[in-house]
Amino acid sequence: MRIVVCVKQVPATTADKRYRPDLRLDRAAAEAVINPLDEYAIEQALRLQEAGTVEMVTYLSMGPPEAAESLRRALAMGGDDAVLVSDPALGGADEWVTARVLAAALDRLAPEVSLMGMASDDARGSLVPGAVAAIRGVPYLSYGSELTLAGDQARVRRLSPSGFDIVAAPLPVVASVTDQVGEPRYASLRGIMAAKRKPMETWALADLSLSAADLRGGALTTVIEVRPPEAKPPTERIADVGPDEAAVRIADWLAARKLI
Amino acid sequence: MSTNVWFLAEFADGQPTRSALELAAGAAELARGSGGVAVAAAFGPGAAAGAVGLGAAGAARAVVLDGEAGPAIGSAAPLAAALASDLPIALLAPATFNGRDLAAAVVGLLGLPAFGPVRSVRITAGAVEVEMATLQGSVITTSRPSPGAPQPAVVMALAGTFAPLEGGTGRAALDPTPTVERGPFGRAAIVETHPAEAAVVNLEEASMIVAGGRGVGSAAGFEPLRELAAALGGAVGASRAAADAGWVPYQLQIGQTGKVVKPALYLGCGISGAIQHRVGMQTAEHVVAINKDPDAPIGEFADLFVVGDLFAIVPRLTAEIRRRTGR
Repeated sequence: MRIVVCVKQVPATTADKRYRPDLRLDRAAAEAVINPLDEYAIEQALRLQEAGTVEMVTYLSMGPPEAAESLRRALAMGGDDAVLVSDPALGGADEWVTARVLAAALDRLAPEVSLMGMASDDARGSLVPGAVAAIRGVPYLSYGSELTLAGDQARVRRLSPSGFDIVAAPLPVVASVTDQVGEPRYASLRGIMAAKRKPMETWALADLSLSAADLRGGALTTVIEVRPPEAKPPTERIADVGPDEAAVRIADWLAARKLI
Repeated sequence: MSTNVWFLAEFADGQPTRSALELAAGAAELARGSGGVAVAAAFGPGAAAGAVGLGAAGAARAVVLDGEAGPAIGSAAPLAAALASDLPIALLAPATFNGRDLAAAVVGLLGLPAFGPVRSVRITAGAVEVEMATLQGSVITTSRPSPGAPQPAVVMALAGTFAPLEGGTGRAALDPTPTVERGPFGRAAIVETHPAEAAVVNLEEASMIVAGGRGVGSAAGFEPLRELAAALGGAVGASRAAADAGWVPYQLQIGQTGKVVKPALYLGCGISGAIQHRVGMQTAEHVVAINKDPDAPIGEFADLFVVGDLFAIVPRLTAEIRRRTGR
């Protein structure tokens, strides 16, 4: 049994983000990290490998050549090998193009489980896993707080409006997991050393038998303007008053805005 | 291709969800701009009987994808077939688990442009134009489908992006349910259901939210927050720290990996305001925070920041609100 975990390199939450004149994020200028929510997918895959359910954990990323650093960091946490899909034609890719390319790479790797984080830190559309499943023509198990594998079936525990459900589908599947799977491990020094010797391949679009025409121009969406958010009025503060006065002043504030 | 605006209408327990009513109003408004009509794609328990009732919410037509309680993703193939028969200008989807699943599936099945979650959406020059806050709200982008991109554009909307119509009447005309194989997405099944011991409110439907974090300290510490929420006519939410600690169920978690809410009032108690929480509540109309730490990050973006002990202030605030409102 093999799991491929899809990993996205994103700008660090605290990084200073800048846009280039072509309205694309200047990813070279910002400190880059593994998308924090993808670390939970890595953790879930490694736990299944430690339990003996899964023999092989492979990481897959689509991004610029520098995204190899994130794959190396994932390999330091554990797992066996990694593939980076990198091609100049993929700059500015939107959700559909990303899903199309990842689906082609996953077809070639042919794992039983393709695993992803629940969202990316920089865009938060959460569309890529489901779109990959649609393009590959396999079932989709989404938002698992735990993934289990038994026989030819995958199961996720999934939050429902009033509790939780267990949702199951026959393998192969695409699945996404949440931050409830358990805290991601840190890479050990030994893991960091071992990662340097683990195999990593880089594939271009041609290696996936994809052409620029298959990707319909590289993006189905276009950013036409980027601007800073509206300035917000300064915060009003209530400090150094007793609780009785604080309560009255909060109530006054709410009443002035017709909230009570 | 048509100029219609479709929306996903989720039903639960025989009724349209709040998101269905909000998106119906949003689709009707956009359709007035595009010269088409609003069309509901209804799914979930009660959809078969209730879809025509969406006429009062703004829908001119409705198609029932599925009226069963199985995974929403099972409706993906009928949804794709229905969209392909009309090729509307846009499909509005709620930014919920089920809404995102169906949106993702049709993006993959039909190869569609996708946006979201959006801050606002409009139709200009015959195409969809959206505003999004990206990179944790640090920039606002305006986007459109690329020239020549297929229709519909899939647009995800947070709860509270549109207000439901009030006092509407009328019935939606029913389109036939497409007869298609459900395909791979139909092979996922709910094999166990575990309801919660106590009823859990849907936070996305609350217009007043009192949220508690690490500073609340215990499950019992949420009791005064519940009383304040009751006095306000609202609901209780929480930070991830409070949910991880087991003080409240995960359904009440607000933030990047929980609910993204847009209430008229968010009142945070003992919540520091980490970025992961902030992305779940920063679109609230009014933000009030009570925290004993004068340097808590939430103090930098709240509209009103109260430095003090929440256990002293919250019960007094509840009493003051009850005195003024008679509730």
